[in-house]
Amino acid sequence: MKDRPALVFIVDDDDAVRNSIRLLMKSLGLATRPLSTAQEFLSTYDPQQPGCLILDVRMPGMSGLELQQQLNLRGAIIPVIFITGHGDVPMAVEAMQQGAFDFLQKPFRDQDLIERVQRALAKDQVNRAELSERAKVRERFDSLTPREREVLALVTSGKANKVMAADLNVSQRTVEIHRARVMEKMHAHSLAQLVRMMLDLEETT
Amino acid sequence: MTTNTSRELRALLDAAVDGIILIDHLGEIHSFNRAAERLFGYSSDEVLGRNVSILMTGEDEKEHDGYLARYTETRTPHIIGTGRDVMVRRKDGTQFPAHLSVGVIPGQEPPRFVGFIHDITHSRRIEAESHQLQDRLTHVSRLATVGEMASGIAHELNQPLAAMATYAHACDRLLALPDPDIEEVRSALKLIADQAVRAGDIIRRMRALARGEESARAPVNVNTLIEELATLINSDAKAHGVSCRQELAPDLPLVSANGAQIQQVVVNLVRNALEALAPERAATAGAEVVLATRRLPDGRVEISISDNGPGVPEALKDRIFDPFCTTKATGTGLGLAISRTIVASHEGTLDFEPNQPNGARFNLRLAPEPTDPA
Repeated sequence: MKDRPALVFIVDDDDAVRNSIRLLMKSLGLATRPLSTAQEFLSTYDPQQPGCLILDVRMPGMSGLELQQQLNLRGAIIPVIFITGHGDVPMAVEAMQQGAFDFLQKPFRDQDLIERVQRALAKDQVNRAELSERAKVRERFDSLTPREREVLALVTSGKANKVMAADLNVSQRTVEIHRARVMEKMHAHSLAQLVRMMLDLEETT
Repeated sequence: MTTNTSRELRALLDAAVDGIILIDHLGEIHSFNRAAERLFGYSSDEVLGRNVSILMTGEDEKEHDGYLARYTETRTPHIIGTGRDVMVRRKDGTQFPAHLSVGVIPGQEPPRFVGFIHDITHSRRIEAESHQLQDRLTHVSRLATVGEMASGIAHELNQPLAAMATYAHACDRLLALPDPDIEEVRSALKLIADQAVRAGDIIRRMRALARGEESARAPVNVNTLIEELATLINSDAKAHGVSCRQELAPDLPLVSANGAQIQQVVVNLVRNALEALAPERAATAGAEVVLATRRLPDGRVEISISDNGPGVPEALKDRIFDPFCTTKATGTGLGLAISRTIVASHEGTLDFEPNQPNGARFNLRLAPEPTDPA
């Protein structure tokens, strides 16, 4: 998963609209994958592929909103920029509530779309970095022994070594050794960092 | 005949609302009642002894003596006993429509005739007004349909506009690259032009649908009418999340029709189908409207609009073509009533039947244009 180039997916059933967006993205040097149906996108969707999705709201068969729901069900993180020919406010609200990255009405200014695509790609990168960071923390946490996890829980709740020693019925020296092992295994440089890691983990579990 | 009876008869004639005129076999006027004086503006004295053709117009005025001569000779009645609508002339030259009935006075030789003239100006005007009203209603309902379709049309127009704008921006950016691919830019420019044509086409179709009343009928191929509507119907279908399929039979005979009106009926029926399907859409992914044409065994041309929605509720089956019968929250209930009126004015029929396995199917049937024997 080392630095796969980002792809801009364009899903619109209108050939001209899809092709014109493809050309605009190409002029920016961005790689695209134009698709004419939501089903096609869903069946070839690879969660490991970084990028963003420019999605038409209304399409025959599966609509853009339906595709978004499917992606949400799969826990996909790809940012979705909706485009629509309708000034349909309720639909825009629904899309945003479902976590759309943004909503654009056709016809749009190139700058508006470009800016959103660039922000969506940046967001995707951040999301993916966070996700992989979180996965690493989870891996490290999983490598702790049961005793080390107990110590970690007490440390992050702000207990002093002496108190922990009493709680766990071990020597203060033993607590210090466990604590050092936890910090090392978790790659934490400070108590504050350790606390933040644990909060992140809790958030996702 | 006693003087008394004759006076009574005179009073009877003068009391009549309709004009009553007595003539002989040469057309000479022998009696002209009050109502006739009032209708034609002549006094009885002015017309007695003159030829009745002075009250007539056109063909009748020229041919009347001939009619009389023919009857006197052959005794074959043409108008006698049946009557017909004619245009007649007042003293001042103005004309008015009248229903004329003629009888022969029995037992007289050579024959004498009595004519009854009933002024139908008023009923004619009412008829014309009702025609006009119907035309206006048809037109207004067409505008309403176009209005309902406006959001679909706007969507449809936004597609080429969006494509044009985006292509143009892309061209601009491609040209700014260090080593621009001129061929790519050129082909994009051509695509922009195509999209402009597409946008114009959508507008032209919408205007054709909304255009004012023209009662002109012309021989048309119903497939052409439907193809003209395809863009609008498809965009409307898309807006409802329904797919719309067309199955047009080739080689249909032409029908004599007012194209805009038939299109209005088709749009109306398709919209009904779409609205019937839209609520079902989430449950049934295959919501579909089929617009088909075919030639029936009896030679008529059929346009059918079928859907796989919930169908017409049993309770409404006998009333759906009645005015103000509606199942829609915002409907006027006039769509189907007007549609059927339009089809009837084309001597056609508009019926519905349940679709298999579910849904409704509306059939619009029109007689073919008589083929030219030449």
